[in-house]
Amino acid sequence: MKLAVFLSDLRRTEDTYDRLKADKLGVILVENGVYHAVLKEGGKDSPILSKAGANFYVLSDDLETRGFTAAQVNSKVKVVSYGDIVDLIMNDYEKTAWL
Amino acid sequence: MGALKLCFVVQRPPYKSENPRLALTHSISSQTAEIHLEDGETVVPTLIFVGDGVLNATKNQQAMKLYGVTSTESHIKNGLLIDMPIWVCKEDMERLGLKEDQMIADAEDMGADLKTKFVSFAEIQKEIEACPHLLFF
Repeated sequence: MKLAVFLSDLRRTEDTYDRLKADKLGVILVENGVYHAVLKEGGKDSPILSKAGANFYVLSDDLETRGFTAAQVNSKVKVVSYGDIVDLIMNDYEKTAWL
Repeated sequence: MGALKLCFVVQRPPYKSENPRLALTHSISSQTAEIHLEDGETVVPTLIFVGDGVLNATKNQQAMKLYGVTSTESHIKNGLLIDMPIWVCKEDMERLGLKEDQMIADAEDMGADLKTKFVSFAEIQKEIEACPHLLFF
């Protein structure tokens, strides 16, 4: 399964994300999920970014809305536009999920 | 006669929900409640950001440019413009890796004299204790 997962919150109350497995996993950080790409809580990367084998993306519009720029994004995460996300969904992943 | 102190405490990050924005708009408009008070009585609001709520106070927010909505930053600056004290918890900024130069420090571009205060939670605790009316968002 090729799965693209949208994460839109800073805090999570479920552990679905931790248990998710896919042959190819894309994690798209949108809305308040973008904080995972820029904050270093307690000096550490977000645990979201420790998912093994996943590709991480962050939506530039939601990032800039919140006062951050691409220069502040964690090196594990690729900054993408709305158009890029459409391309990812259409070309790179078979399914999408919103957590 | 006297001042009626209100503390608006924002503990959630911006934009995903309307909740933090309501704290901003309610605190800015709270002084209009004076029409219901006795002559000489005033409403004195303080807007406080704690926990993940400090993320409301990052500067260079582009909400208007990208989504056509007023930014949380513009609301905070309007608060400073009407001389409403705005406090941001230093410990929570440090926990999230945010530095003061990333935060809204003033609204000089809008002509405001008041500046944001970056304070310890101990100071916030004192303010909360001194405030008879607390509103958490």
